[in-house]
Amino acid sequence: MTGVNLESITKRYGAVQVVHSIDLEVQSQEFVVLVGPSGCGKSTTLRMIAGLEEISDGKLTIDDRVMNRTAPKDRDVAMVFQNYALYPHLNVSENIAFGLRIRRESKEAIASSVDEVAGILGLTDYLERRPADLSGGQRQRVAMGRAIVRRPKVFLFDEPLSNLDAKLRTQMRAEIKRLHKRLGVTSIYVTHDQVEAMTLADRIVVMNDGRIEQSGTPMELFVNPVNTFVAGFLGSPPMNQVQAVLAKGANGPQALVGGTVIDLPKLDALQNDEGRKLVLGIRPEYVTIATKGDKNQVPLEIDLVETLGSEALLHALLDGVPFVIKSETIGQISKLDAVTGFTIDPDLIRVFDGETGDALPGQDRAV
Amino acid sequence: MTMSPHNAPIVEPVPVEDPYAPPKGMDRVVDHLKREWQLYVMLLPLIIWLLLFLYKPMYGLQVAFKDYSIFKGVANSPWIGFEHFETLFGNDQFIRAIRNTVIISFWTLVIGFPVPILLALMFNEILNATYKKWSQTIVYLPHFISSVIIAGIVITAFSPSAGIVNTFLGWFGVEPIYFLTKAEWFRPIFVGTGIWQEAGFQSIVYLAAIAGVSPTLYESAVVDGASRWQMMWKITIPSIMTTIIIMLIIRIGNILEVSFEMIILLYQPATYETADVVNTFIYRQGLQAGQYDFAAAAGLFNAVIAFVLVISANALSRRYSRTSLW
Amino acid sequence: MRKLSLLSGLLLTTGLAAPALSDGHLQIVDEPLTLTIQMNHKRYPTYQEDWPVEQAARAMTGISLQDATVGANITSDQENTGKTEALNLMLASGAIPDIVGSSRLKDFVNQFGPEGAFIPLNDLIDEHAPNLKAFFESRPEIANAISAADGNMYYIPYLPDGKYGRAFFIRYDWLDKLGLEVPQTVQEYEDVLVAFRDGDPNGNGLKDEIPYFARQWPEMIRLVTLWDGRSSGSDTYHDFYVDDGQLKHPYAGEGYREGIKNLARWYEMGLIDAEVFTRGSSSRDYLLSENLGGATHDWFASTSGYNTSLADKVDGFAFKAFAPPASISGVRMEEHRRIPIKPDGWAIGHTNEHPVETIKYFDFWFTEEGRRLANFGVEGEHYTMVDGAPVFTDEVLNSDQPVNNQLYGIGAQLQARGYFQDYEYEKQWSNKFALEGIALYDEGDYLIDQFLGVAFNTDEQKVYDKSWGSIRDYMLERQQAWILGTGDVEADWDDYMATLNQMGLQDVLGVMQSAYERQYGG
Repeated sequence: MTGVNLESITKRYGAVQVVHSIDLEVQSQEFVVLVGPSGCGKSTTLRMIAGLEEISDGKLTIDDRVMNRTAPKDRDVAMVFQNYALYPHLNVSENIAFGLRIRRESKEAIASSVDEVAGILGLTDYLERRPADLSGGQRQRVAMGRAIVRRPKVFLFDEPLSNLDAKLRTQMRAEIKRLHKRLGVTSIYVTHDQVEAMTLADRIVVMNDGRIEQSGTPMELFVNPVNTFVAGFLGSPPMNQVQAVLAKGANGPQALVGGTVIDLPKLDALQNDEGRKLVLGIRPEYVTIATKGDKNQVPLEIDLVETLGSEALLHALLDGVPFVIKSETIGQISKLDAVTGFTIDPDLIRVFDGETGDALPGQDRAV
Repeated sequence: MTMSPHNAPIVEPVPVEDPYAPPKGMDRVVDHLKREWQLYVMLLPLIIWLLLFLYKPMYGLQVAFKDYSIFKGVANSPWIGFEHFETLFGNDQFIRAIRNTVIISFWTLVIGFPVPILLALMFNEILNATYKKWSQTIVYLPHFISSVIIAGIVITAFSPSAGIVNTFLGWFGVEPIYFLTKAEWFRPIFVGTGIWQEAGFQSIVYLAAIAGVSPTLYESAVVDGASRWQMMWKITIPSIMTTIIIMLIIRIGNILEVSFEMIILLYQPATYETADVVNTFIYRQGLQAGQYDFAAAAGLFNAVIAFVLVISANALSRRYSRTSLW
Repeated sequence: MRKLSLLSGLLLTTGLAAPALSDGHLQIVDEPLTLTIQMNHKRYPTYQEDWPVEQAARAMTGISLQDATVGANITSDQENTGKTEALNLMLASGAIPDIVGSSRLKDFVNQFGPEGAFIPLNDLIDEHAPNLKAFFESRPEIANAISAADGNMYYIPYLPDGKYGRAFFIRYDWLDKLGLEVPQTVQEYEDVLVAFRDGDPNGNGLKDEIPYFARQWPEMIRLVTLWDGRSSGSDTYHDFYVDDGQLKHPYAGEGYREGIKNLARWYEMGLIDAEVFTRGSSSRDYLLSENLGGATHDWFASTSGYNTSLADKVDGFAFKAFAPPASISGVRMEEHRRIPIKPDGWAIGHTNEHPVETIKYFDFWFTEEGRRLANFGVEGEHYTMVDGAPVFTDEVLNSDQPVNNQLYGIGAQLQARGYFQDYEYEKQWSNKFALEGIALYDEGDYLIDQFLGVAFNTDEQKVYDKSWGSIRDYMLERQQAWILGTGDVEADWDDYMATLNQMGLQDVLGVMQSAYERQYGG
């Protein structure tokens, strides 16, 4: 079965290195999302897999065959581009059939493939239209159709949804997910949107500065980010990161945030080194709001309350630094304006080293 | 009620005006001008240019129907109806000149039109930037050389004694041919020269059009497995088709504008048979003798033909390719 | 005729009698008068008010000219390409200066003069211009030649002096080398050219000699005179000629047919430059300096000059004039000569408020002093009087610049001015080889009368305009075809003549004849 394997893949433009020796193994039928800020090298990596960029160093195998110097057409991959790359002079049917025509398949075979794909994507009524006469979502579907129709071993998606509005994006996201389930083709998907990554991926690969920061299932990354970068990238709103100093409390390690004391999980790494600089990763969802009189609360100064419906976002200042809380609204709405602090189970705090930003060992939780 | 001037004189009780009704008549124009005057200011130079250099000279076209004297002026010269046209069409050499014009234009179009497109496509395939720059410059160069020099080059190249062409033919045992006095060779030489001189420069517009094609179209095609040849046929050419058609319509409009300076420099009485075009005919028999009225008649005829051609080309293009100038 | 000679004799005496002593005798006006002028010519696109000649004329006459030239088109090489266009532009602009001087002025004033744009000069000359009057009375054919169809003169022409223009030239050193005599007949000429072709006179071992070449291909056609044909009646190519009072066209004559037949044969034989039609104006320079060309028909002065300029480059180079070889009927004819009258000169615009003063000013240039000023420049500066004759100063003669160019630069020899050239001016700086050649031609009487052109009335002009251009084109097409061998003149001749007549040659000749008879009194 078709897996894609990247071994020490490197990309250099002259003296500038943009991808630093990446190792990544994509299993057959897996849906892997490369996510990261723009310029992190994720698109370049994808283009190297497609064969649109030369691989400077390392080894790329698809289905156990080394592909470094294989022409794109012989890699049996299909790619969906951000701006769809539809041929403006061809209608939908011809656009979908383009790859097949290039491969000189028979007319009948092309027609039936196109019909099938059009059926899958709901494009049957639009086959005669030109791209200019289609909506953004329809164009996106045509671009997908062009990829699907070839039945490639690997799908490559390069930010395919970023030109769509929010509603369509949600809708297409679901369609892509459904399509992957149905076709079961190995897929590599590049995006800068962590929601897409979370919702679509079997596995997320977070990239930064040409390197892989962490790779794992969405939940793994959400619960156990290996460093502050990953922690800040996934989740909406992202994890609060609070600068703190380690202290020894009566019941175990504590963190000092300005004048406030927060209990920490009883990790081995926190048993000594008082005064060590830490970053506390606190998910906005994991805290419980507290009002005047509640005990053991970490005091906050509420700045703004955004009510979203079932939940609300509380923008606050913790020791003068912004801090966001996500809270249920049902039954608590009256309390929200009166919040004076929060409480949290120490085990839900993710502790990072203050210097390196790496998570301290021994605190991973099962997902 | 407002007291704007246009409702002031109304004495009869009128229905109360809707203060939110869209403005009418002059108000609307004034509103529009207040809002968009910058655009009109920018438009002004072109309008002035058009009036001054294209519309005003049309007044002078009437000399085609007059016995024109510069001293008497356009207005005071007597009308003579279609006399100049009758003279023209009574002249076998004019008829021949029309025929030559059409034939030369036809070949210039049929052979000369695709060449810049091919050049542009070829340039587009060159990967080495330095090589591309050099080759483009070399191909553009003849455009910037004056016709007189070009004609000199052509005369030398085709000279029976020292010309490169005859030297080359000599290697194959072909006797030297005095090309420029052979009526049957004039058109190939002229058309070829024109292409050599202008094709490079004309390719610029196509190169620009090609540059406008989104690179992802090619990447997508690469992933789909298209060869460079297929990409050229299936992406590049269709993508620049609109440009090609527009250029074609424009060329058809100019079809009778054979570059007659070049013909004058290259032709001989011996080659009038195939070389004499309407413009050279006018030049020899009209302008050299100061017969502006006669020349105007011939020019007017030329313009009418060109007008009909461009209208037809546009209509055909609109019908069959959904592309048109207007 | 008798009456005319009498008159001219009379005038000659008056001319001689005019005393050139006291200052102010040439004064035209008491108060200084300024007239505007359009002056447009190849070498001087505008009139320069600081020309020494203009200033001298101002001092002598009291009249100064002020430049008002429109349409001057100065190219980078300081030559003016405007000419007729400049005149048309001036007319179209509606403002005609007091004086209009230009090359190619004749047809222009003869068309627009009768329409009222220029003042007819006949009466003015009669009453106010004794020197002009005397000149025209002594040279009535010139008065006739410049007259418009209405019988009036509208311009005072530039009148070139000297007879000779072009001549037959041949490489004397090649003749010597091959042991040949200077050809005296057409047959001998042919033999010499054949010998040039085959005898390797340039000694490079290659058969690359070009026996006969010409800068202007009509100079090759000119050789039809060797078979009693004609190629032109004037210094303009393909012009009509007058044969015993009858206007004819050279390209419709039997001698021409015979000549073309033989020239085609010469061309075929390789006696004539195979590229004669396209080699162009630099061919003489190229073929002589490369030691390839054997004979030509070209201007005395410039062609003789190669004897000096190529003396170092080509060993023994001697390219000199020889007398026209005798034709098949024994006629030695040099068809080309300097035309005695050019279409260049000046005229008086219709808005001129001082026509009398202007014609007096024109007349000034035909006085002895005026003519000398126009020809030689300013006395004391550019020439001195030696034995009663003007002689250029050493500075002028020994300058780097050709004398004529120097003269243009000071406002002398302006051919857009109506004046009578004095050949003496040219003789003083002519190449000795040219003078030798001229002396040779002076021995025989080879020159023939020139056709000086006609002025059409409106109806004649229409007939001419309608047909002539096409006829001329057709003639030249056939001519080249015959020379190049793509047609046979003998086989085509009857068709050719029929076509010419069908195209209206007889009509054109008819209007030429009527205009000629009106103008020159038949």
